[in-house]
Amino acid sequence: MSRELTYAQAIREAIALAMERDDRVFLFGEDVGIYGGAFGVTDGLLDRFGPERVRDTPISEAVLAGVATGAAMTGMRPILEIQFMDFITLSMEQLVLQAAKLRFMLGGKVNIPFVLRTPAGAGTGAAAQHSESLENWFVHVPGIKVVMPSTPADAKGLLLGAIEDPNPVIFVEHKLLYRHKGPVPEGYTPIPLSQTQVKREGADLTIVATSLMVLRALEAAETLAQEGIQVEVVDPRTLKPLDEQPIIDSVKKTGRVLIVHEACKTGGYGGELAAIIAGSEAFDYLDAPIRRLAGLDMPVPYNRELERRMVPQVEDIVDAARKLVREGI
Amino acid sequence: MATPVIMPKFGMAQEEGTVIRWLKQEGDRVEKGDVLLEVMTDKVDMEVEAQASGILQGIRVGPGETVPVTTVLAYILEPGEALPQEATPAARTQAPAPAEETAKPPAVKASPVARRMAAEQGIDLARLTGSGPGGRITKEDVLAAAQAADQAPDSSPEPGRVRATPAARRLAREAGIPLDGIPGSGPRGRIQARDVERHLAALAASAEPEAQPIPGPGARPERAAPLTGMRRTIARRLTHSWQSIPHVTFTASVDMRQAEALRQRLKPDVEARGARFTPTVLLALAVARLLPRHPRLNAWLQAEGDELLLTQHSQVNLGVAVALDDGLIVPVIHGAEELGLAALAQRIGDLSQRARRGDLQPQEVMDGTFTISNLGMFPVDHFTALINPPQVAILAVGRARMQPVWDGEGFQPAPVLQLTLSADHRAVDGAVAAAFLADLKAVLEEPARLLL
Repeated sequence: MSRELTYAQAIREAIALAMERDDRVFLFGEDVGIYGGAFGVTDGLLDRFGPERVRDTPISEAVLAGVATGAAMTGMRPILEIQFMDFITLSMEQLVLQAAKLRFMLGGKVNIPFVLRTPAGAGTGAAAQHSESLENWFVHVPGIKVVMPSTPADAKGLLLGAIEDPNPVIFVEHKLLYRHKGPVPEGYTPIPLSQTQVKREGADLTIVATSLMVLRALEAAETLAQEGIQVEVVDPRTLKPLDEQPIIDSVKKTGRVLIVHEACKTGGYGGELAAIIAGSEAFDYLDAPIRRLAGLDMPVPYNRELERRMVPQVEDIVDAARKLVREGI
Repeated sequence: MATPVIMPKFGMAQEEGTVIRWLKQEGDRVEKGDVLLEVMTDKVDMEVEAQASGILQGIRVGPGETVPVTTVLAYILEPGEALPQEATPAARTQAPAPAEETAKPPAVKASPVARRMAAEQGIDLARLTGSGPGGRITKEDVLAAAQAADQAPDSSPEPGRVRATPAARRLAREAGIPLDGIPGSGPRGRIQARDVERHLAALAASAEPEAQPIPGPGARPERAAPLTGMRRTIARRLTHSWQSIPHVTFTASVDMRQAEALRQRLKPDVEARGARFTPTVLLALAVARLLPRHPRLNAWLQAEGDELLLTQHSQVNLGVAVALDDGLIVPVIHGAEELGLAALAQRIGDLSQRARRGDLQPQEVMDGTFTISNLGMFPVDHFTALINPPQVAILAVGRARMQPVWDGEGFQPAPVLQLTLSADHRAVDGAVAAAFLADLKAVLEEPARLLL
């Protein structure tokens, strides 16, 4: 059975289900308790699970990441919320040098099973320091998994899957998705990490998109379908480790690929995807260059119109897709 | 220092050449300027001269072998000097292999970075001349070639630089067909998968009737030989013309009584100037005088990226097809509209004679703007010719046949010939072609109109 939930509700449900099921799971972060989280995601969990398991913390992201790492090493299953992904910059040492490496450096004697949830993305007028999409920084670090759900159902299932996973997982939520509604299955329904999903089938063009861009790609696909262009939308869902084969299979089928993500293009995940596709058996099926549509290489502007222009919109995806299919450029 | 003797590039479009014979032999002493060998290209036979004095050594391409331009054919060495290392094909010197096996182009010597850059940029190393030690191709050589290729117009892509998508390449590879010659519909003429599929479908359709020849009882198997040189070029160009140009044809019958009378009358004068006044000359004169008034037909249509560019020429470079023993060549009379009758007759006579001898210079077969193909000397009443791109029209001339012609009162016997204009319908409308044929018919039926 499924019912309609928002993305935020789906995440909250996953946290509650995991906490009910496993005493080792606890939630902590800035304002996650009394205030219910900066975006209301953890609303009501303090009342339900008490201050022992839902902990408000000081504003100290470096410490929070260290606490998550230490608690995980001692056998807990922490869920840490970093209020804005921008502030993960303060946690880098703990995440990159400690959490990501300790299992390796200690000969596999410890697991670091924590989940760091964090809202990313522009579109709220929150300017350059509250709008970052930094997922690719962590994609680059061996020892860390990176998950970016695009739908309420994926948010719930993948969060449960991330909590089960014995490794540090960066779970990147998108601010503009929190209120987005969709069918969500009831009960404890984890989705294993590293399962790419085809969100829509089509024969003419593959769009590989992440997070909010999946929704925009699906909307663009509707418009393009009316012009006779059948778009296949593929959502990696877990950026690392990536389930490559469905992407490769899709490109082999369509012969054209457009990669869409919100993070800045240079050094972004699209480059990795493009290289994987170009280096795979799909190469011999490409009938057009691999194209990327991504955020402009600039800080997110405060001005709402500029902010909008900086990030790929539905019409941008339609234009790029049309060009690729009709003109091969 | 060893001086390589290379397969020269005489014409812009030339991609390869065939060695006819060596006039100097292995070990001969040669002087700079000596003729070393004769080579045959698509269009002409040429002599290759020594670029240095020394001893001719390491001949590696024998008579009948076809290699890409700039391929090293041999070296000229200073006395006592050894062949560059890669120039000693061991199999060749120790045990002469059968000609079929030695037809492979020699290995190319290039630095690793040059190899990588050439691969990245789709440059064929065999077509470059190395400036490094021992003729090694360096990074700079590849850069220069890449730059030259970038500056070359898209309509005449550099040899070895076929623009095709990986999917198109895979399809062609799987089908075992070459990509060049397949018209590309993608941006800047890039060959797309659909182009290869279309091409394969066309090949399949044309191959079907003769797919399985059933030899009759006692039938002697015929020997199949690959087309080479001019024959292969003709095949490629005509296929391209036929497949890519929407041909439309227009035929007019012309009463040649006055033209023939005029020709007989002036013949002695033309002959006194050392030329022959053939029907072709008169036709060429009429066409050359009329074309400036019909610039749409004296034109080139060329693909430039996604665009088709039409160039209308004020000068008439008139091609006159000349049949050879095995093949055909079209020498070009540049600026034909300026020539008087005798001069034109001399030019046509000289060019066709030298064409039959294989003695044309490359520029004498280039840059034609319109072509005449006359089969009037054969019992051919009418035929249609294929356009020679980038030209947009060609005139096919049949024989003059005695026919009754109505003069208003009665039928008169008259030599009547049929002119058939093939035009590229993308550039030429029916009315434009018809207007030209009407003018041509008028001047041939009443040559005094040439004075107008």
